[in-house]
Amino acid sequence: MSYLKNVKKGMRFKDMFNYLIIVVMLVVPLLIGVFDNLPRSSSGLLAQMAYSILLAVSLNLVVGFLGELSLGHAGFMCVGAYIGCYLAKELYDVIDSKLLVLIISMLVGGLVAAVFGFIIGLPALRLKGDYLAIVTLAFGEIVRTIFKNLPTFGAALGLSTKKYGNDLYIVALVVVLISLFLIQNIIRSKHGRAITAIRDNEIAAKAMGINITYYKLFVFVFAAFFAGIAGVIYGSYVTPVVYSFFSFNYSIEILVMVVLGGMGNITGSIISAVFITYLNFTLQTQLSGDLAALRYLVYAIILIVVVIFNNAPALKSVRERFSISNLFRSKKKNNPSKQYSDTNRWDVVTTKIPMDEVLTTDVKQEDPYKPDKKEKGGK
Amino acid sequence: MKKSVKKVLAVVLALTFVAFCFSACGGTGDKKDTGNGYTANNTEYFIGTTGPLTGDAASYGNSVKNGAMLAIDEINAAGGLNGVKFKFDMKDDKATAQDATTGYNSLLEAGMQISLGSVTTDSCDAFAASAVEDNLFYITPSASAAKVIEGRDNGFRVCFGDPDQGTLAADYLTEKYKNVGIIYNTSDTYSTGVYDAFKAEMDAKGTAFKSATFDNETNKDFSTQIEQLKDCDVIFLPMYYQEGSLICKAATAKGCKADLIGSDGFDGIKDLIDAKTVTNKVMYITPFDTDSKDPTVSKFVANYQAKYNALPDQFAADGYDAVYAIFRAMEKAGVNDVTISPSDLCEKVKAAITADDFSLTGATGTMTWDASGACSKPLQFKAVN
Amino acid sequence: MLSTILDGLSLGAIYALIALGYTMVYGIAKMLNFAHGDIIMVGAYAILVTLNANGHPFLAVIAAVLVCMILGIIIEKVAYKPLRGASPLAVLITAIGVSYLLQSVAQLIFGSKSQAVTITTAKMVKIASAEFNLNTILTLVVGAIIMIVLTLFIKFTRTGRAMQAVSEDRGAAQLMGVNVNKIIMITFAIGSALAACAGVFYLMQIPSVSPTLGSMPGIKAFAAAVIGGIGSIPGAMLGGVLLGVVEKLALNVPVLAPYANAIVFALLIIILLVRPIGLLGKKRREKV
Repeated sequence: MSYLKNVKKGMRFKDMFNYLIIVVMLVVPLLIGVFDNLPRSSSGLLAQMAYSILLAVSLNLVVGFLGELSLGHAGFMCVGAYIGCYLAKELYDVIDSKLLVLIISMLVGGLVAAVFGFIIGLPALRLKGDYLAIVTLAFGEIVRTIFKNLPTFGAALGLSTKKYGNDLYIVALVVVLISLFLIQNIIRSKHGRAITAIRDNEIAAKAMGINITYYKLFVFVFAAFFAGIAGVIYGSYVTPVVYSFFSFNYSIEILVMVVLGGMGNITGSIISAVFITYLNFTLQTQLSGDLAALRYLVYAIILIVVVIFNNAPALKSVRERFSISNLFRSKKKNNPSKQYSDTNRWDVVTTKIPMDEVLTTDVKQEDPYKPDKKEKGGK
Repeated sequence: MKKSVKKVLAVVLALTFVAFCFSACGGTGDKKDTGNGYTANNTEYFIGTTGPLTGDAASYGNSVKNGAMLAIDEINAAGGLNGVKFKFDMKDDKATAQDATTGYNSLLEAGMQISLGSVTTDSCDAFAASAVEDNLFYITPSASAAKVIEGRDNGFRVCFGDPDQGTLAADYLTEKYKNVGIIYNTSDTYSTGVYDAFKAEMDAKGTAFKSATFDNETNKDFSTQIEQLKDCDVIFLPMYYQEGSLICKAATAKGCKADLIGSDGFDGIKDLIDAKTVTNKVMYITPFDTDSKDPTVSKFVANYQAKYNALPDQFAADGYDAVYAIFRAMEKAGVNDVTISPSDLCEKVKAAITADDFSLTGATGTMTWDASGACSKPLQFKAVN
Repeated sequence: MLSTILDGLSLGAIYALIALGYTMVYGIAKMLNFAHGDIIMVGAYAILVTLNANGHPFLAVIAAVLVCMILGIIIEKVAYKPLRGASPLAVLITAIGVSYLLQSVAQLIFGSKSQAVTITTAKMVKIASAEFNLNTILTLVVGAIIMIVLTLFIKFTRTGRAMQAVSEDRGAAQLMGVNVNKIIMITFAIGSALAACAGVFYLMQIPSVSPTLGSMPGIKAFAAAVIGGIGSIPGAMLGGVLLGVVEKLALNVPVLAPYANAIVFALLIIILLVRPIGLLGKKRREKV
């Protein structure tokens, strides 16, 4: 049983490391604030990082852990931002404490977004891969178009919200911390293992008695909830909330964070969310005036180079030589007595066998097509 | 396991320390978070603004930038304000509220004292929401929606408000034509703003009219809309010239004979249409005319062409005038301190610009401002062909 | 009504041409090429440059097709080939990077302002008491011809059959002596040439070009490809035409017009719910 213990410890350590990143992001600015005033651009940047992290980590649940491509994550954020901030605007007249208002609106925004997550989770039960991706993309566009035409939410002008102020980043980062706690505990639990089992092989997971319907819906609802919260944080950081922000391009930006950070890697998502937000911030503020046209050129080149470096099969040996984890593992590797035998380390042995490719067979025209569930009216 | 924990902790602590050092280095000087403590080291008056310099709306931002830069160069070449020169910076905001807020913060920390707000309505609203907190004066060249300056004492604008144009157009069209149609852009605040006022005025008059909509985010093919309004004598087009030119061409292509009347955003359409592609009569409401014989206008047009090798559009003219409005108002207020804080400068400029005897003759006509921040200047209908 | 449907058909033909490129690249390289829409934009600028140099419109079209083909091949070699064998999502992200890159380079070279391009001036023709724009009909006819030629090419030529083989099973095709790299390169070249053709028709209907021209038609065409069943060539045509007609019909009803986009996408969701593999997609079944 010793390897199980090690595995658990390893996972806990990873979790702790994620908390540590957020705590550092929270404590360092607070300390700076004690000695000196924290520049407003920094506190704004931290708030932006906070909702980027929430978005990236929650999308990672869908893309990295459940293994379904979603191109409409900004749609959930849109729902959360509009509903939550609308509520906040009304509540400010009733409740004095702005912190309380923010918390209530975050919960409500998250819950409404979760309802939408349920709705979009339903097609996910029937669709796979790129077909599901286009449905999520379509969902994002539909949500945006509807909010654009609703006069209650300001129509094309957008919803004017009340800004929370410069200390929004503190609340936002604490929310990130709590969300991380929830997400990581789910992942580490049997539910998390069920979700990754579905990713690795849906049919095998089903055969093991995992309730696929339940878990797929669960992941979509869960991820949408956090995206909704991120939307409320966004709406408290800027005013007005305008439909055009939550476009397909923003969904893609979140996806970029997830893919750069690594599928199913929470630490990676956090780091790449921070990195990309910071990169965007720097490019925007440094390249002003006539240089602004270079902004996306630089961004695109960095993106292409990083992705190719990280993923190209030909560069594998280069990557391994310069890998950060080597910094910590080098000694262990040199000491054979401390190496685990492969049979014990089931956690490092890849479980993802491309079963789909091995087992997929083409169905001939005359073959009867039997869906998983009995079709209505069928025999 | 333990060792690696320690290593990670060490790295984190080291990073924290480095971060501290950096913040300590950057943190010299007395920074108050009122947004008014950053101007102490200024050697030039700093005019800041944000606008879309990339993305779909990039042409608007770039035009404003070019117009404003031209004005800054002219002012500086003439010796600035009492020998003190002006500095201008525009951050890219992709027409989003998020990037406008970020841009505002970084401009403020770089020592911005006065601003042109932002180019598009949404981002200008975001910019203004921050500017109000610091009492920073902004005069937006082109954000025309009512809410951009509404309820904000420090907010002014150069362009027309949307409602003025809608009302004017409704009066003019009902007087001259029988069957009136309108095509507007539901995804654009400028277009819907003019439409709302137009509709209100038409309803007040009790005149019926046909309307069609489009959404420039998704669709740039206008044959359907023209098809719907084919029988009209005149079609009012409150929108920018880029979509406007496409509608004009679609009208000719579809064999629609109606006259086409644009709003002030139509300026610049001349480059995009010619007698071959558009046979309909095209007119638009404008305060600005590149062919004008007025010396201020012709000087602006000539200088702009010399510098950028292109005809200025209305955004460029508005940007140019906004900078001059700031300059003349500062001149009139007798501003004499290059390190003046945004808030103090705002009070002085506000008093000067709303004074009864202040008027600016710029590229877009002779303008005066009242305390609401709206600009009044004469309007005219200009024929394109 | 008839005229609306005709407009829809010609818009659909444009979507279909773009979707064909999407679907071919997907079928053979197994990747979503999100930079495909921006290739249309490059083609449009190539036309603009040739026309400004007083080139004949035909010359402009040929220039656009050539430029796009070469660009397609270069993009494939530089950005996608190193990632062959990597996760499809990594390739997707690179494609997005390429899309940003093309847009910002276009802005740097040509500026952000949209510029007018006139390939042909509109002529009206009378058919059965209704007037139609000649360009619309031209788009439809030429679009149909291109699609027929493409289908014949894939069905009956050696290269076409090699393409089918690679899309079916890359490994097996390689074992049978098919040069997979070459086939993928040809696919990108053909896909980009189709995008250039779509760009020509696009400019005939919407005579203006700007750096972001390609992004929305690109997404719509992606939707069309998926509706038809991604990887299926007749499916892409059907999906494109269907999308174009529905969009035009929705725009024709004033109450629905602001929601036209939502309606198109809602239709997409419904179709996929009824047929999860798209209209003409191939059924694949997993077995354990």
